[in-house]
Amino acid sequence: MSTATVAHEHHAEHPSGIWRWITTTNHKDIGTLYLVFSLIMFFIGGAFAMLIRAELFEPGMQLMDPLFFNEMTTLHGLIMIFGAIMPAFVGLANWMIPMMVGAPDMALPRMNNWSFWILPFAMLLLLSTMFMPGGGPAGGWTMYPPLMLQTGVAFPFVIFAVHMLGISSVMGAINVIATILNLRAPGMSLMKMPLFVWSWLITAYLLIAVMPVLAGAVTMMLTDKYFGTSFFNAAGGGDPVLYQHVFWFFGHPEVYIMILPAFGIISEIIPTFARKPLFGYSSMVYAISSIAFLSFIVWAHHMFTVGMPLTAQLFFMFTTMLIAVPTGVKVFNWVATMWRGSLSFETPMLFAIAFVILFTIGGFSGVMLALVPADYQYHQTYFVVAHFHYVLVTGAAFAIMGAVYYWLPKWTGHMYNETLAKWHFWLTAISANVLYFPMHFLGLAGMPRRIPDYPVQFTDLNMLASIGGFAFGLAQLLFVFVIFQCVRGGKKAEARAWEGAHGLEWTLPSPPPYHSFTEPPAAQLIWAHPYRDD
Amino acid sequence: MVINTFRQVMRGLAILALMFAAGAACAVDLNMPVGVTPISQDVYGLHMYAFWVCVGIGTVVFGLILISIIWHRKSTGHQAAQFHESTVLEVVWTIIPFIILIALAIPAAKVLVKMTNTSDPDMTIKITGFQWKWNYAYLQDGFSYFSMLAADSNAAAQLDSGINPDTVPHYLRDVDHPLVVPVGKKVRLLITSDDVIHSWYVADFAAKTDAIPGFVNETWIQVDKPGTYRGGCTELCGRGHGFMPIVVVAMPAADYQKWVTAMQAGNGAYINPASMQPESVGSPVVFSAAELNFNAVSPVAAGGNAASPPTAAPAAAKPAAASAPAEVTHTVAGQQWTLATAMAHGKQIYAANCAACHMPDGKGNAAMNVPAIAGGPIPNGPLAAHISLVLHGKGIMPPWGNILNDADLAAVITFERNAFGNHTGDLVQPSQIKAAR
Repeated sequence: MSTATVAHEHHAEHPSGIWRWITTTNHKDIGTLYLVFSLIMFFIGGAFAMLIRAELFEPGMQLMDPLFFNEMTTLHGLIMIFGAIMPAFVGLANWMIPMMVGAPDMALPRMNNWSFWILPFAMLLLLSTMFMPGGGPAGGWTMYPPLMLQTGVAFPFVIFAVHMLGISSVMGAINVIATILNLRAPGMSLMKMPLFVWSWLITAYLLIAVMPVLAGAVTMMLTDKYFGTSFFNAAGGGDPVLYQHVFWFFGHPEVYIMILPAFGIISEIIPTFARKPLFGYSSMVYAISSIAFLSFIVWAHHMFTVGMPLTAQLFFMFTTMLIAVPTGVKVFNWVATMWRGSLSFETPMLFAIAFVILFTIGGFSGVMLALVPADYQYHQTYFVVAHFHYVLVTGAAFAIMGAVYYWLPKWTGHMYNETLAKWHFWLTAISANVLYFPMHFLGLAGMPRRIPDYPVQFTDLNMLASIGGFAFGLAQLLFVFVIFQCVRGGKKAEARAWEGAHGLEWTLPSPPPYHSFTEPPAAQLIWAHPYRDD
Repeated sequence: MVINTFRQVMRGLAILALMFAAGAACAVDLNMPVGVTPISQDVYGLHMYAFWVCVGIGTVVFGLILISIIWHRKSTGHQAAQFHESTVLEVVWTIIPFIILIALAIPAAKVLVKMTNTSDPDMTIKITGFQWKWNYAYLQDGFSYFSMLAADSNAAAQLDSGINPDTVPHYLRDVDHPLVVPVGKKVRLLITSDDVIHSWYVADFAAKTDAIPGFVNETWIQVDKPGTYRGGCTELCGRGHGFMPIVVVAMPAADYQKWVTAMQAGNGAYINPASMQPESVGSPVVFSAAELNFNAVSPVAAGGNAASPPTAAPAAAKPAAASAPAEVTHTVAGQQWTLATAMAHGKQIYAANCAACHMPDGKGNAAMNVPAIAGGPIPNGPLAAHISLVLHGKGIMPPWGNILNDADLAAVITFERNAFGNHTGDLVQPSQIKAAR
């Protein structure tokens, strides 16, 4: 089974048990660690969301102090973004990029180990702040000063945790870039790379560009608090809004860091189950690149109400609206890929189709939010909460779930239980809409976000959203069960687990050998790639 | 397989339909309010225009997906075509969205220009956000007052209060002292904050502007219909973020003028705009000629988003106010508390101002690092230190000397020193507060 030659055999010796995971430099082991970590964080962040939805089930304060509620909204955001979505994508990158470009492993395996193992400690540090005097961070995941400066003992620990998360992300990004640029199989030019690899190459550059900006923003806040600077303090000549500009200069590209790899995943899944080449490969690459470029010049659309000059508001409105063009190109290309295909609806495809539809709904509310006068009404209401959960949950998280089902046979060597997986999909897709769709109405009717209690006219829709939320949470237990069952055993998966699948990863056995490609793959395998004009 | 999937799709659709039916049945507003200002009506029009554009695009895109799903399935034997590129199509679906966006951007820009034009107002009100209440200063009329969550809502909103919010009128949407504006007049709002960032939002006016400490933002409203309009803070501002609503009463100009006159004559009592009678609850109205000086509005000299001061200060509506000393009057001369009257009044002041952090039972809030009043070292320690702390604040504790008058401060300090099991026996008089300022 192993393709390792004698010369490579010493690589195959590795410790077993816990030391295998602590000392590993293997891209698949590290990918697994990332994915398992992300799943655990998904449940912790999800548990916080359940508490939020339970408190919001009906008006009045029943379960918690309003300050604890604020801690829950803050930590839910930070954990889902930095603990669940981003590590899941890095895990997928670790597992799939070497196999997709025909490499034996990631380019920088020791750094790979380190960039993962920083993460659990950063998250533990962040979670431990909940037990410090004064409680954890309660100023929202955006951590705006001066409110954030009212955090108790936890304040410097939160900032240190953010620094560690940033270092981990940047190291992961460096590794992805080094791997893609240096370890591609001979014959795989950039424009022959699978789209998942393309989307991650661009994402990695975004990460390197903006994670230091976040580190800078929180460090400025740290020096404001402890070293007498006044970056964000008007009394000392600073400006609280400066923080918002710096933060969102990180924050908007960050949003695309969480969706571009999802675009890549969907561009892998749809051609497979449509049994048809991806429509418009090169325009897909250009679209991702344009979105990445635009992400740097739209940041102030998160803060139209802070009192910017008219010209600035107009500029950021126009650039924001422009994003709809390349995003539209991507959606149209996915639809064109499905058009006149030979579709089958295995679970990855169901998640991919749900992604295209529900992400587009999130895109529509995005265009509406871009219109500044309307944004004055939508801003900081549940309309925004609905918008970003449509793009991040039914967008990014659905893509991740689709990717897990798509590549699980490759990873484990077993087919998962398709019936249970479909149950998981339908329960998730329906409950997510029951959870998030009413939030549009709540926002339009004027319910602000991040409030622990609300006027009674919002009761019915909040109850509906909470019921959807609990169902969504329960449905994810099924997800864990299906994964667990698949890891334990099941029908043997073939090398090409899906009939319509193309790409180098499907030329390796399932599960693949410990070192993916110890010899470069044959050139004709790359030529057989579905995106090619041949 | 087909039947199975079809059944699953139908089940999904049935549940979605139920959901919409449930949404429609609960008789709440599902859409943005049209509102009562020219701007809010423009914004509503823009919102509906954008919505229908999205519905149109969605119908086409989702329709094509649905057709693919139904007709182009492997299980019905459909063979996959192998096309994968068309430059013409790519150009078409780049240009058409671009044109649609321009068609959206032009009306949006027009409304925005109108929205940001705060010039030539008929009057100006300065709004200051506090954790967790609003202060409204009528700059031309020389008075200001605080507006905070109504006592019945506040009581019901306590953890496990046992009070059903349904029984509280306008739960979390009612305040002790509403903002009052005249109908049909262009009212400029100068918005700032004393502590953290807040945001002043009333949906019926399409007015939402951040209150940023150290800077003054501006917006404007022109309410065309008399009535009571409700909103709240929309920028996370700490523990009480959900509990600082906004109520605006819009009155015909003549009635409004009567209200202003009554306020100025009210000797510190807030005049209820509905009954035109003085209110006994809540913090007092403060008169200050200093407010007439527009240059003193911004705590910090103009920055990037500070409002430009108007070219000329308007004439004072009340000559007496203009000639009054610039110093704020905190004491009604000669007022004296007895222990009983101070305790009764102090209890009200405590519930309205202190209980949010120190808790109604005086036990403090460990999660927020707020010390207890009950048995605490300050209320049971030296009186001077207690007065000084309340007057000047510390950490997240605001300097109450700027917010409450001497009589209220004396009463609430007396209350704190003799309630929740504290027995200092101290009775604080307004004159002692005045001396300590």
